[in-house]
Amino acid sequence: MTNEAVQLPLPGLDQANRQWGYDYGRQIGKDRVVKNRSGIEIRPLYTPRDWAGESYLEDLGFPGQYPFTRGIYATMYRGRTWTQRQLIGLGTPEDYNQRVRRILEAGATAISLIPCNSGFRGIDCDEVDPILLGTCGTVVNTTEHMDVALAGVPLGTISTAMNDPSPFTLLAFTLGVAKRRGVPWTSITGTSNQSDYLSHFIANHMFYRLSLPGSRRVLLDHIEFCRKNVPNWNPVSIVGQHMQQAGATPAETMGFTLSTAMQYAQDCVERGMDIDFVLRRFTFFFDISISFFEEVAKFRAGRRIWARLARERLGAKDPSSWRFKFHAQTSGVDLTEQQPLNNIARVAVQAMAGIMGGLQSMHTDAYDEAIATPTEETARIAIATQNILREEAHLCDVIDPLGGSYFVETLTNQMEAEIEEVIAKIDNAGGMYKAADAGLVQTMIGQSALAFQERIESADQKVVGVNCYQIDEPADRRKPTERPDIERMKEHVARFKAYKDGRSQADVDRALDTLARAANSRHENIYERVVLAAESGVTHGEIVSCLRKELGFGHPLALA
Amino acid sequence: MRARTLFPPPRVLVTKIGLDGHDRGSRIVAAYLRDAGMEVIYTPPWQTISHVVKLALEEDVDVIGVSSLATDHLIVPDLLAQLRKAGLGHIGLLVGGIVPEDERAALLQAGVSAIFGPGSSRQQIVDHVAALAAKAREVLNSHLWEIAR
Amino acid sequence: MLETLVDRLMHADASALARCITLMECGGPSAEILHRRITPLTGRAAIIGFTGPPGVGKSTLIDGYIGALRARGHTVAVAAVDPSSPISGGAILGDRVRMQRHTDDPGVFIRSVASRGHLGGLSESMHRIVDVMDAAGRDFVIVETVGIGQSEIEIVEIADVCVVVNAPNSGDDVQAIKAGVLEIADVLVVNKADLPLADRTARQLRSMLKLRRENQDVPVIETVATRETGIDRLECAIESRIGRSADEKVLRRTRRMRRLIAQLAGRMVRDLVLDSAGAEMDALVKAASAGEVDLAAAVRRALKTVL
Repeated sequence: MTNEAVQLPLPGLDQANRQWGYDYGRQIGKDRVVKNRSGIEIRPLYTPRDWAGESYLEDLGFPGQYPFTRGIYATMYRGRTWTQRQLIGLGTPEDYNQRVRRILEAGATAISLIPCNSGFRGIDCDEVDPILLGTCGTVVNTTEHMDVALAGVPLGTISTAMNDPSPFTLLAFTLGVAKRRGVPWTSITGTSNQSDYLSHFIANHMFYRLSLPGSRRVLLDHIEFCRKNVPNWNPVSIVGQHMQQAGATPAETMGFTLSTAMQYAQDCVERGMDIDFVLRRFTFFFDISISFFEEVAKFRAGRRIWARLARERLGAKDPSSWRFKFHAQTSGVDLTEQQPLNNIARVAVQAMAGIMGGLQSMHTDAYDEAIATPTEETARIAIATQNILREEAHLCDVIDPLGGSYFVETLTNQMEAEIEEVIAKIDNAGGMYKAADAGLVQTMIGQSALAFQERIESADQKVVGVNCYQIDEPADRRKPTERPDIERMKEHVARFKAYKDGRSQADVDRALDTLARAANSRHENIYERVVLAAESGVTHGEIVSCLRKELGFGHPLALA
Repeated sequence: MRARTLFPPPRVLVTKIGLDGHDRGSRIVAAYLRDAGMEVIYTPPWQTISHVVKLALEEDVDVIGVSSLATDHLIVPDLLAQLRKAGLGHIGLLVGGIVPEDERAALLQAGVSAIFGPGSSRQQIVDHVAALAAKAREVLNSHLWEIAR
Repeated sequence: MLETLVDRLMHADASALARCITLMECGGPSAEILHRRITPLTGRAAIIGFTGPPGVGKSTLIDGYIGALRARGHTVAVAAVDPSSPISGGAILGDRVRMQRHTDDPGVFIRSVASRGHLGGLSESMHRIVDVMDAAGRDFVIVETVGIGQSEIEIVEIADVCVVVNAPNSGDDVQAIKAGVLEIADVLVVNKADLPLADRTARQLRSMLKLRRENQDVPVIETVATRETGIDRLECAIESRIGRSADEKVLRRTRRMRRLIAQLAGRMVRDLVLDSAGAEMDALVKAASAGEVDLAAAVRRALKTVL
C-alpha cells in the first residue's frame, strides 16, 4: 500500500485547495478535533492530494480480484444479494421450530440457531432455575431436541449457522438428525458460528467450558473431522464481534481477529493439514457499529490485509483461500434502552455500513434487542430494514459504491495501518494464543472500553436519548415483558428428565468412556467421539462435563 | 477521584448471577470503584447464589453490586433472602444493567437499594456505593469500639 | 463480645473468621487485643507461601493444591494478596476467581487481601491474619503474593514452606528469579510444563540453585496446573518439608516470630536513622561521605547513636 501524497499534474488544484483552506479557517471559527473510534483523526475534507487511484490495481483491484478490496466476488450483490441470516433462539425446540418455519415461508434461505445461555454455560436444562431458561436462546440438549427444532426444515438445502462453542454439540446433534433423515452429510451446509475459542476466552467467558489448551485441541479435531466428513460445512468462524462488544476499537477488533485467524491456520498446518484445504472454509463474524465510514473502511482494509496474509504469510495458493468471507451483525452495544424506536434508525445505518463494506451475510437487530428477545413484530421490522435498503435504496445495484471516494480510500489506508500495528503487537507477543493467555489482549480491550465510556460520560460522544435529547419517558411506554411460558418450559425439563431415565445407561457410559479416552490420547479425534456420543443419546451437559474433566476446567483471567 | 474517607476502604463484591455472560459493564464499574479508592472483589459471570453468599461472608464485604442482563435480575430476591439467612442482611445491594420497567418495583421491594441503567453516571454509582458502605460499617464500627474498650 | 467472637472462631464459624480478619486489618488497639487473645490458640496449622511473577498460573496451581489437600480431608484457609493502586488506594482483587472449584466447599476459606499501600506494615497485618486462620482451626494456611517486591517476599517469609512458581517464557533468562526470591524458596515449580521451553526453564533453575545455595534440597517440580499434572508431587514435596512433631511446631512458630521481629526491627531502625536529627548523626554521615569512616563502621556507630 502506498501512502505518499500524489503529485498528479492537476493545474490549479493546489491553489484552489489553499483557497478553500483559507475560507474554511475564516468561517469555521473554532474547529473541532474529531477522532473516530479507532483514534484516527478525521479531517473536514479529502481531495486527490490524499488519494488519486495511482495504485489502483495494487491496493484495490477489481471485485473478485486480489487483493479483493472492492469485493470478494466479481458480481457481489448484483448477482446474489447478501444472505439474510437472522438469529433465532428462544424457548423450547417447538417454539424455535414455529419461528423458523415462518421465516422460511417468508423466503429466507438460511437459518441460524442460538442456544439458551444455559447451553453456552455447558449445562443441561435440568441444572438451572427454569425461570432463566429459554429467554435468550433455544434449549437444545439432545439430538431429539434438534430433530424437533428442525422439523420440516430441508437440511440438505438450507444453510444452518449454529452458535455453538466448543465442543460443538449442536452440529453433532444436527448430524445425528441428518443421519436419521437419510440426508448425506456431504450436503449439509452452514457454519460453526462460535468456534473461535480465543474470542471467548478474551471477551465472552465461554471458557468455563474447557481450558485453553483443551479448546485448542478440540477445535483442531473439529476442523479435521468436518473437512473430511462434512466438506461443505464451515467449521471455523473467527469472531470479531465479542471483542468489539467488549470495547475493542474497530481497528483493534480487525487486528485481533486476523491474528486469531493466523493462529488457527498455523495450528492446522502444524497438525499436518494443507493450508488451502483449511483456509477455503475459514469465515469471519463481525459486529457493525454505527461509526458508519469507519466500519466500511474496516471491512475493506480487512479484505485487503487478509488476502495478503493468506497468500504471502501463510503461503496459500488457492484464490478462494485469500477471500475474506464474513457474516456481520448490527451492534447491539450502540442501541439504547431509552426511546427504543430510535434503534430502528440506528440499525438501518449500521446495516448500510455492512452492505457498503461488502459483507456476505447479515443479521439486523430488532429495536428492542437491548431489553429482551425480539417479538414477531420487531423481528419483522429488522428484516424489512434489509429489504428496504436493497429494494428501495438500491444498495445492491453498484459494487463497492464508496470505492474511489477520496475520504473512504484514505480512511481504508489509515485503518489498514492501525490494524497492522495491532497485528505487529500480537506477533511480538508470540501470536494470539500466547497474547490471550498472558492477558495482553484483555488489557488493551479494557483500556479502550474505559476510554470510550469516558467519552460518553463527558458527552464528547453524544448518544441521543442518553446524554442528549433526553425526554421524560412515560412509565407505560413498553408492553409488559414477554417471556417463554414457564409451565411449558417446566414440562420440557420434565420430559428431558424422563428421556434420560429411559435411555440405556450402558450405551451412555460406553460413549462417554470412549470420549474420555480420546481426550486423553494424543491422536484420536475428540470431535468424532462427540458426534458418536450425540448419536448414542448423550446430552450436551454430559459431553461438556466429560471433556471438562479430562481436558481441564477453563479459568478466567482477573482484570488487568 | 480520591479515596473515600472510610477506613478500611469499602469492600465491594461485583458479580453476575444467572446465565448472561456479558461483563463489559461490570468491568467498567469495577474500575470506577477502584479509582475511587475501594477494594473490589470481582468475579466472572455465572456465579451461583450459594457461592455469592459464601464469598460475601468470607470477604466481609460492605456492598454487593450485581450486574444483570436478560432475566438474571429475577433471582436477585432469592440472593437477598439467602444473604439474610446467612446473617449478612447488613450488606447493601444494588443492581446494574437492564431491568424491564415493570419488574423494577419488585426488586426494590425485595431489598435492592437502587437499579442503575445504562445512562447512569460514574459519580452517581460511586456515591451510592460509598453511602451503602458507610451504612454497612455501622456494625463493624460497633465491634471495634466494643473490643477496644 | 470479644469472647463470643473468639468462641465462635474456635468453633469453626466462618463468619467469625471473616470478621476477625477484618479486625486484624483495621490494626490499632482492637487488633492487638484480639491478637493477644488468640495467640495461645495458634501453632497447629502449616503455613505455605506461594509466590512468583504474574501470569505463571499461581492461582490455578493453588486451586489444584487445595484439591489435593481436601482429598486428604484437611481444611484450608487462603490469603491472596494483591497490590492496591498507589494512586487511588483502591484495588481489584481477582485471584480467588481462579480457585472456583472450591466455591461451595466449607472446608476452604478464601480471603482477598489488598496491600493498601502499606507493604511494609502488611507483614505485620498478614502475620495476624495468618494467626487468626490458624486459631480458627484450619489445618493449612496458604498465603499467595506476587513476588515482585522485597515486601512481598517478606510476606511469603511468614510461611513454613515457601513455594516459588515460574513458567517458561520466550526470553533467554529466567526473569522470574528476582533477587531474594530464589533464596527463600523451599520448593520451585515450573508451571505450564506442557509448553516447549519448560525443560530449559527447569534446567536453568536447577543450575542456578547449584550456584547460589549450598546444602540445598530444593526440588524443581514441573506441573501443568490446568490439567492437575504434577500436583501430587508438589503436595508431597511440601508435606515433607513441614515438620510435624510438637518440637518442630514450636520451632516453626518461634522462627516465624523471630523473622517478623527482625523485619519490624529493621524498619524501626531505618525510620530512626532517617529521622534522626542531631549533631552526632550529621557528623557521622558527613564523615562517611568524605570517606573518613568506612561504611561498616558508620553503620555500627549509627546504631549506637539511635538506640
